[in-house]
Amino acid sequence: MRFKHYLIFTIVLTFYKIDAQTRAKGLEEKVQQLTDLTAKKSIISLNYNRFKDYVKAPPRDYSFVVMFTAMAPSRRCAICQHVYDEFLVVANSFRFSQIYNNKLFFGMVDFDEGSDIFQMLRLNTAPVIMHFPAKGKPKPADSMDFERAGIHAEAIAKWIQDRTDVQIRVFRPPNYSGAVAVATLFALVAGFLYLRRNNLEFLYNKQMWAGAALMFCFTMVSGQMWNQIRGPPFYHRSKNGPVYINGGSHGQFVLESYIVAALNCSVVVGMIAMIEAAGGVKNPDVVRSQVDGKKRRFQSVVGLILVCVFFSLLLSVFRAKTQGYPYSFLFK
Amino acid sequence: MPATAAGKPVNGPNKGLFQNTAGFSTLITVTVLTLAWLAGFASRLFAVIRFESIIHEFDPWFNYRSTAYMVQHGFYNFLNWFDERAWYPLGRIVGGTVYPGLMITSGTIHWILHTLNIPIHIRDICVFLAPVFSGLTAIATYLLTSELWSRGAGLFAACFIAIVPGYSSRSVAGSYDNEGIAIFALQFTYYLWLRSVKSGSVSWSICTALSYFYMVSAWGGYVFIINLIPLHVFVLLIMGRFSQRLFVSYTVFYIIGLLLSMQIPFVGFQPIRTSEHMAASGVFALLMAIGAMKYLHSLNPKGQWKQLLIVGGLTAAALVFIMVVFLTYMGVIAPWSGRFYSLWDTGYAKIHIPIIASVSEHQPTTWSSFFFDLHVLVCTFPVGLWYCIKNINDERVFVALYALSAVYFAGVMVRLMLTLTPVVCILAGIAFSILLDLVLKEDEVIMTQPEPEESKNLYDKAGKVKKRTQEPLPPADAVLGMNVRSGTLIAFMILLMLFSVHCTWATSNAYSSPSIVLASYGNDGSRKILDDFREAYGWLSQNTAEDARIMSWWDYGYQIAGMGNRTTLVDNNTWNNSHIALVGKAMASNESAAYEIMSMLDVDYVLVIFGGAIGYSGDDINKFIWMVRIAEGEHPRDIHEADYFTERGEYRIDSEASKTMLNCLMYKLSYYRYDSGGSPPGYDRTRGSLPGNRGFKLTYLEEAYTSEHWLVRIYRVKKPDEFNRPRIPLAKRTIPTSNAVSKKFTSGLGSGVQYDTTSKRRKGLLKNKPTIVKGKKVGRLE
Repeated sequence: MRFKHYLIFTIVLTFYKIDAQTRAKGLEEKVQQLTDLTAKKSIISLNYNRFKDYVKAPPRDYSFVVMFTAMAPSRRCAICQHVYDEFLVVANSFRFSQIYNNKLFFGMVDFDEGSDIFQMLRLNTAPVIMHFPAKGKPKPADSMDFERAGIHAEAIAKWIQDRTDVQIRVFRPPNYSGAVAVATLFALVAGFLYLRRNNLEFLYNKQMWAGAALMFCFTMVSGQMWNQIRGPPFYHRSKNGPVYINGGSHGQFVLESYIVAALNCSVVVGMIAMIEAAGGVKNPDVVRSQVDGKKRRFQSVVGLILVCVFFSLLLSVFRAKTQGYPYSFLFK
Repeated sequence: MPATAAGKPVNGPNKGLFQNTAGFSTLITVTVLTLAWLAGFASRLFAVIRFESIIHEFDPWFNYRSTAYMVQHGFYNFLNWFDERAWYPLGRIVGGTVYPGLMITSGTIHWILHTLNIPIHIRDICVFLAPVFSGLTAIATYLLTSELWSRGAGLFAACFIAIVPGYSSRSVAGSYDNEGIAIFALQFTYYLWLRSVKSGSVSWSICTALSYFYMVSAWGGYVFIINLIPLHVFVLLIMGRFSQRLFVSYTVFYIIGLLLSMQIPFVGFQPIRTSEHMAASGVFALLMAIGAMKYLHSLNPKGQWKQLLIVGGLTAAALVFIMVVFLTYMGVIAPWSGRFYSLWDTGYAKIHIPIIASVSEHQPTTWSSFFFDLHVLVCTFPVGLWYCIKNINDERVFVALYALSAVYFAGVMVRLMLTLTPVVCILAGIAFSILLDLVLKEDEVIMTQPEPEESKNLYDKAGKVKKRTQEPLPPADAVLGMNVRSGTLIAFMILLMLFSVHCTWATSNAYSSPSIVLASYGNDGSRKILDDFREAYGWLSQNTAEDARIMSWWDYGYQIAGMGNRTTLVDNNTWNNSHIALVGKAMASNESAAYEIMSMLDVDYVLVIFGGAIGYSGDDINKFIWMVRIAEGEHPRDIHEADYFTERGEYRIDSEASKTMLNCLMYKLSYYRYDSGGSPPGYDRTRGSLPGNRGFKLTYLEEAYTSEHWLVRIYRVKKPDEFNRPRIPLAKRTIPTSNAVSKKFTSGLGSGVQYDTTSKRRKGLLKNKPTIVKGKKVGRLE
């Protein structure tokens, strides 16, 4: 009996001692564990316990950057994957750089694994990147603002530098997909040319080249480059139904630029039809012998209508966008 | 434009009088070109008529200042000019950092006029230079288009370019900038290049090189020429259109153009040291290789030469390419500069060069600005392109490449709309000319053969001219019928009329504001001129010391130097990013931190633009976020962009704004003592809110001047002895003797030296007095 008491006492003592040890040695041990984890994978995935131990529990001398996300396909978070990729780039850049130390760790919480963490931090959205400083509680500025900074790795690195004074030089794994695509395209074209080496007549087809050039012009003139750089919505959904034309002259929607390209194209087609109907530029003999007068007259009238109507439409769209523009033609 | 419309009927009545076709068409050409010149000139005068003969905006002020310097001190002194008034304390070697073509052009005109005893002020030459050159551009475009298609198309193109807003945006009276003359040089160089390719004569190539030299001296956009011409040659080689003419014209042009372009101090050795110019030398080497192989071929015309030629050409091309890449890698050739690189990689500038991204004309182009600048031309120029490609020859390859590259660049950057406009005018001119030519020619065949005297008034000039140059069609062609033809004519006349009224409207409303004089319109249509900028700059020049240093954001550097004649820290020649960032940091810091920077930079006055009282949106608070960004790029430890936003990421100035924002120097200088602007006094009409920090006091600065509508505010930076200085032990106290401050008073009085000595004597007197208190008082008074 006494022996038993002793045993219990010893056990209790041992446990107590272990407990005390973890508390006392906690910091070193934690850092050691985190370093080991980071060595395996540069982003530590956190569940509730780990989150509490490593991120929330007080003895810390390291900063923790945690991404809260929902990667499961069922959550249908398209942006999460992008953010994860960029975040991984940053974490890897830090992990394999010379300034790597154990003052900064990267972590990740998936909603499906740690929904209680989301509740604890009162997070309703994902993805969120938060910084947990070594001392004190996270301030509002410690969660990153994607709206303003963007989601690029450079932006994340800059934000981390803001918060922790650790300057991470983002090193992207070289992206060969562009080069591969171009090489494949070249190979395809070269192969195609090689296969048809006995019949390269199509390369001298001026109509094809002219068509391609015109396509390029329409693309540029309708502001596709602006779309590419600014990334506007396809069209705007408002309460009163969809809006296809942006009201201001400094913005446009993707659909709007397609409409404009189509309008431009119709005007050009109309004008070319008129010219061809009237005899074309160089070889009017061919046209004259084949098409009789009535048909040519008809073609000419159709061309004229195309030009006038579609140009007026273009003008009225422009007028709707430009404040105080006084002129219009056919339509208001 | 009225004159374009007027240009059309001219040929009708004249027609009967002149049976000599050549003389007749020359007369028409001259008349139309003269009218186009006049119309172009007249349509650019809105600013002069509404305001006065004044230099516009920012960069023109620098150009004007250096032109005036050159006229006063001579060309060589201008080349050696070290401007210690800019970029204090660094200074700027102006002669080596400008394209001097603009100054030389107006200086030459000034010299000629004065030799002829016509006393005209250099300012008026500067103001009217760009409108005059627009006429020359029209003529150059006419020549270029006639080389490409026909003289009728040329006349159309000349009329278009004379008034099109895309070009008049940069060439209204008073906008005295490089682009004003550079577009002329661009078009003229291209014309001469096509001439030399057509003729293969050395003299035309040398003319091309000379014109290219003028372009290099005038504008940094010469890089467009030195890449487009080699591209043309290269594409011709690929198409198998190598010829001796091409060989002669390109080699002569390249060598002479290279040597000449290196004579411009600002360009220097760039043509052989930077990637932007490498295409030209690569094509030169390739052309040489192909020329050599052709020569070998001509020695022995038999055998497997054709295959050897192709293989040899490909090898040569590959060799040249690898060579250039290798040299770039070795660092012999500088890689693409950021400004050019950002044209290809469109996201580059936004991340790496905020100072480029911050300028609004470096943004991509929406379709509505294409339409605004080109109107009907934007949907007709593809027709011209279509027919140019379908009837291809050596010259039309050039115009197709010109159009495709220019339309790409214009899509990337609003500013490069300027290089697109000429080629759009050319191609649209061709399109209109083809159509109206056909429509009118049939008319001609039916009507003129029975009785030539009857046909009047219906004809368009272009159709008229063109008819003479091409072989007439047989009468069997007349199938379209009268109604269709006249319908077409009327419709297209309406389109052209819409175009001309649009051009006038756009030039008048969008491009004719001098931006240093503002106008506001009352409800009854009365106009009120706000002349705050000149008022404030005038105050600076009259009331501050000669060598006073003014700190402001870089936008206003040229204006302060040009109108106020004072030293600036940064200006629109944004060559030193870290210096600009330092100024940005000063503006973004709180008062005491800013004072440290300002005393480090010897700043005497700070100038801010504040539009809150009149609702002027281009003021410094709206630009402020760029100052923060640029400062953050250089001083990431001290400035954080996020600090200037609210917690929700909004940029505000009212009571919800962040603390950093409310206490930074720019904020304080803008809203200090501000009580104007509407119903609650102190309401900011630009931002539409009430400032969050009001009624504060300034410690380190004092208000020196505020213009009538609060637009320009100038503050004097106090000397260290002027604000709550710490108590100094009795023994260490001295009376200050050096006095920038007292000078400021004396310069106002106009008798500097005398007054200065008396004040010194008075000081000496006080110093000898035993009581310290009085001495201190004098120090304060000063």
